[in-house]
Parts: sequence; structure tokens; C-alpha cells
Amino acid sequence: MSSADVLAIFSGALTTLLLSACGIALGLPIGLGMAVTRWARVPVLSQIVAVYVSLLRATPLVTLLLLLFFALPNVGIPVGPISAGVIALTLNTSAFNCEVWRASLMDFPKEQIEAAQSVGMRRGLRFRRVVMPQIVRTSLPGLINEMSLLIKVTPVLAVVGVVDITRAAVRIGAETYEPLPPFFVAIAIYLPIVYALVSLQRWVERRHVRLEAAA
Amino acid sequence: MNMMTSPELAATNTSQILSVAGLSKSFGSLQVLDNISFGVARGETVCLLGPSGSGKSTLLRCINWLERPDAGRIVLDGQPIGITSGGVVMGDRELSLMRTRIGMVFQHFALWPHLTVLQNVMEAPVHVQRRPKDEVRAEAEALLQRVGLFEKRDVFPARLSGGQKQRVGIARALAMKPALLLFDEPTSALDPELVGEVLAVMRDLASEGMTMVVVTHEMAFARDVASRVIFMDRGVVVETGTPEVFFNAPTTERAQQFLLRYVAAPAAPSTLTTPQT
Amino acid sequence: MIHDFGLVWLDRELLLTGLGNTVLLSVLAGFCALALGALLSTVLMNRSRFIAIPGQAFVDTMRCTPFLLFAYIVYYGLPSLGVNFDNWGAGLAALIVYHTAYMAEILRGAWAAQPRAPIEAGMAFGYSGLRMFRRIVLPPLMLSAGPVVGNQVIQIVKDSAFLTIIALPELTHAASSIQSRRYIPFAAFIAAVLLYWAICLVVEAGVAAVGRMAEARR
Repeated sequence: MSSADVLAIFSGALTTLLLSACGIALGLPIGLGMAVTRWARVPVLSQIVAVYVSLLRATPLVTLLLLLFFALPNVGIPVGPISAGVIALTLNTSAFNCEVWRASLMDFPKEQIEAAQSVGMRRGLRFRRVVMPQIVRTSLPGLINEMSLLIKVTPVLAVVGVVDITRAAVRIGAETYEPLPPFFVAIAIYLPIVYALVSLQRWVERRHVRLEAAA
Repeated sequence: MNMMTSPELAATNTSQILSVAGLSKSFGSLQVLDNISFGVARGETVCLLGPSGSGKSTLLRCINWLERPDAGRIVLDGQPIGITSGGVVMGDRELSLMRTRIGMVFQHFALWPHLTVLQNVMEAPVHVQRRPKDEVRAEAEALLQRVGLFEKRDVFPARLSGGQKQRVGIARALAMKPALLLFDEPTSALDPELVGEVLAVMRDLASEGMTMVVVTHEMAFARDVASRVIFMDRGVVVETGTPEVFFNAPTTERAQQFLLRYVAAPAAPSTLTTPQT
Repeated sequence: MIHDFGLVWLDRELLLTGLGNTVLLSVLAGFCALALGALLSTVLMNRSRFIAIPGQAFVDTMRCTPFLLFAYIVYYGLPSLGVNFDNWGAGLAALIVYHTAYMAEILRGAWAAQPRAPIEAGMAFGYSGLRMFRRIVLPPLMLSAGPVVGNQVIQIVKDSAFLTIIALPELTHAASSIQSRRYIPFAAFIAAVLLYWAICLVVEAGVAAVGRMAEARR
């Protein structure tokens, strides 16, 4: 493997990371919105969200990706590999995020909302200043866990032609007739990133435990 | 015939069901038991008393080798526990066999959470002693009747109060038909109003002639039920004697100090004398 | 659209074979991963650091590695070690090795959360060895770990879809074939998605049943 090859893998990695970041950035607020919808028991919409989340958590990302990539152009929405990738990542991660947010919302102590009501806070204000800050804290470990899971599934984007890290590794392997080394390089890039996220998650959990103990 | 040779054991007679000789145990640099020796005769109820940290629980747990003593010999009904008469440490199977002859009741009940009350009582007799299930079930139900929990036989332990759990624990131990029952602070984890129901069961057992060794802080129980009291402090047996002697006229100073601290009022007369007019 | 699903129905054998393969792979991998994970968790909890640390290193590496890349390495790498697996063998091996690490971590956590007193009672009543494990240790452990293990099984099902990359004829691969032959991507993949959903609902029903048993005893 030449240095140009390694560079190709790194640029593939960059593509992968950028797409992951998009997926994460979009998935967080969408997941939150869906969780709030179910928590507030909005009629019809909550049921739709429930079905949607259940479906998406059961669907493998590669299947979802292939579905979007091949089916959307068929119904008139032209998507290239990158858009299909981002959409698939977003749909997938938003469903899992929804469940993380929802768990925090359901665990949220009712008395705090009642306390806010009793001082005259209206719904929007209550949510912004009382509920949100706390559920962000309790959801954080789960959300970070979901981020690490998302990064671990991004190699699949190569399946639809995104020139990501997997594509680069496969191509180099085919050219050099040595399939293994590029994959080891690819793993060597992924490992520290995921490890960093997992460590971050553990750190956040420990801090949370300490804060709870002090409270 | 006994195989014992040490002088402490020379005076044993056939009615002695448990003999402990020269028992010592350290945890790291802390000596918890220091050369403890005593015997328990058939039908006796022996109460181990003493301040926290005196080694009472450790001593109890050494009897069935839940803790492994550093030195000493324990003999149950003529058979050594933990170390064979040849001096070899017992393997798992031998040790487990010995343990089936000693019943234990735990401070925190230690019931098996995945089994119902009846299943808890039946479990070891069926699966360890390999007795026929129907026979065990009949006995288990009778035992539960005796401790007053027959109606709860199909309930899971998580749904019981502490006192109920402990009574199940006693039934579970009795189901093994042990030669000896060990009680490790059986009421220490109970709310005060639940203590009485457990002590009542223990009182009945004692009066029926069950051989019991009880670690407890319940002084009234020790005074009323024990046939002998062993007072320990800092790993040593300080004083032993009948409850009458120990509670009314302790001979050692440490025993006197202990009684002052732990017994709120001096021993009250057991019957009220009516004023003679 | 209905017409498209009709075409899928014509190819239902292919789809159902794919479903069968997915289920077969997942069940085999699930059982093996759980059994090996139980063994590995004893390694993780071993007092000797020489044994525990390599085990933990393996688990941490698997947990930070994307499954797809690992599957590629197993598929391309095993031949150079002299082991000649076809795509089935490589796929199954990758699933098992990967998820053994996760199961070991799950079981270790579940074991650490177990109370010690009932086990001590087991010792006092004469239990030891295999009998102790089967009757006293394992049942409460399984009840407590049930939901997390169930989630991991669902993860195994979804990871099996990645194996389409190495041309394993599982469900996603079948849907791809139908799609490429009949140009009905929407119907083909939606059918696959619904089948994956069905599998997950079955696993979740099992988890719920275990959860109810655990709740009754809690």
C-alpha cells in the first residue's frame, strides 16, 4: 500500500465522518421532536410516530439505504448516493434517539412540572426552562451511545457508491491484490473515534452519578 | 468412635453434637477469632453474644465453612467439617455433603428470588438431598403451616414482609432435617414490630429440642430461651454460662460493661408480686 | 404499486428463503454468542490480570469496530490463515465472534448487579458446581439480563443484513435480487423491511414475556 493509498483511505474517512456528522446533527432534533410528540400524546401523530420508530428500529441500515437509493428515484425523487446516505442515517438515528429522549421524558418527575405550573409558567416556557435542561443531561449518555453506533454503521454507505472509507479500502485491495491491509487501516481510523465516544459516554455517566449523589 | 486426639476434645461425650476446638481466623492483619473452643450438646440452644466486631458472625460462618478458618477443628456429630481426619482439605462435594446436615438462617433472609415460597422450601431437599418430590412437598407444606405461612406458599419472596421472609427462611432450613441450626442475627434486619413473630418460631423450635446456635442482639430472647450463653469480645470467648448466671451475676468485667451498655434495665422479676394487704 | 407487490409475491420463494436464512443465521449466531459470551465473561471477571486484560482488550476492540469492516476482514483474512470458509462460514463466524464480545459485556454487567446472599445460601444448603450454577445462579441472571440480551439479538438480526456484501443469500440480498430483476425497488425492499419488523416483533414479544416473569419476582 502506497502513501497515496493511505491518503485515499483518509479522504474516504473524512467523507464518512462528514456524513455521520450530518446524520447526527439532523437526527438529534428530529428524535427530540418525535419524543415530545409521543410524550404530549398528540392524537394521531403519536401513533404514527410509534409505528415509525418501531419500524425503523427493526430495519437494518443497509436495507433502508438500498430502499431509499433505488425506490426514491422510482417515485420521482432523484437522490444520489450521498443524499440517500444522509437520509438513511438520519431516519435510522432519529428513531433510536427518539427512544432515548422518550425514556428521559417518562422518567421526568411530575412534581417539577407541577411546581412550574404553580408559579404560572406556561407550556412553552415550562418546557424550555425546566424540562429541556434536565432531559438533556439524563439523555446524554444514551445519545452519545447512539452516536457511536451510528459511526459504526457508516461503512455501509459504500454499498450505494458513496466514496467513503469502505469504498476506498475495497478499491485499494482490488488494485493491490492484498485485501487485508487497507481494511486494517480503515479499522485503525474508526477505532479511536468510537473509543473516544465510548469514553466520553462513560465520563458523562460518572459525572451524572456524582452530581446525583451530591444533590 | 471419635478420631479426635486433642485434649480439648477428650472430654466429649456422645450427646455433644458440635465441637469447636482451637478455631482461629484472621482477615489480613486483623485477627477476628483467636483460639476459640466450645461444644454444643444435643438439644441445647447456645446464644453467641458480644459487641459488634467481636467475631460472633465469623465464628458462626466458620462452623459450616462459609468462612475458611486458619486453624482449628470443627466436628459435627463425630465427623470433621472442612478438613478430613487425615488432614486434607475437603473437596467441594464432601463439604457440600457436610453442609446439608447444618441448617442456616441468614440476617438478610437470602431466599431464592426466582422461586415461590413453597419452591424455596422444597428446593434443596429435592435437588441436593434427592428426596422424592411428593414426600418433600408434604413436609414443606407442613413446615409452612407451622411457621404460619401456608397461605403464602405460591407467592414470590419479593412480595413478603421481612418477618415473613425470615419465617420462610427458617422453614427452608428445617426442611433439610439438619442436626444443627445456625442463626446469623436473624432479626437484626427486621422492623421492630416484625421481630416478635420470628423469635416466637425460634422459641418453639428450642422448646421442641432443636439444637441451635444463635448470634443475636436480642437479650430478652437469650435470657429466656438460651440454655447457655457464650460472650465474645474481640475474637476471644470472655465468658460462658447459663443465662441466669450471665445476666444476673457476670463474673468478668468486660461482660459487666457489655451488659450495662446493651441491657437498658436490670433484669425484671418474671412475675409481678401482688401487694399483700 | 399493487402490481409491484404482486410481482414480489411471484418471487416469494426467494424472499422467504432469504428470510429463512436470516432467521437461521441469527438464531445460530445468537445461541453461540450467548454461550461463548458466558464463557468469556468468566474470563473478564478472572482475578488474574494476565487472563482478564487480554479478554477485556478483545471485548473493547470488538465494541469499537464496525461490523461491516470486521466481516470483510474475516472473509478476506481467513483464507490467508489457511481456513477456507465460504461466505456462509465467514458470515456466521464474523457474527459469532463479534457478538460474543457484546454478550460477555452484558452478562458481566448483569452478574455484577446480582445480590450475593442467595448464592451464599445455596452454598450453605449444599449446592456447588454445576448444580449451583443451573438452579441458583443462572435463573435470576437470565431474568435480569433478558431484555438486554433480547436487544442484542435484534442487533444480530440487523447485522446479518450487512452480510449481503459478501453475497450471502439472506433477506436483504433476496430483496436486492428481486429489485434488480424486476425493477420494483419500492415493493421489494418494503417487503423485506416488513419481514425484518416481524422478526423484531417476535423477539420483543419474547423479551416482554421474560420481563413479565422477572417483574413477578421483583
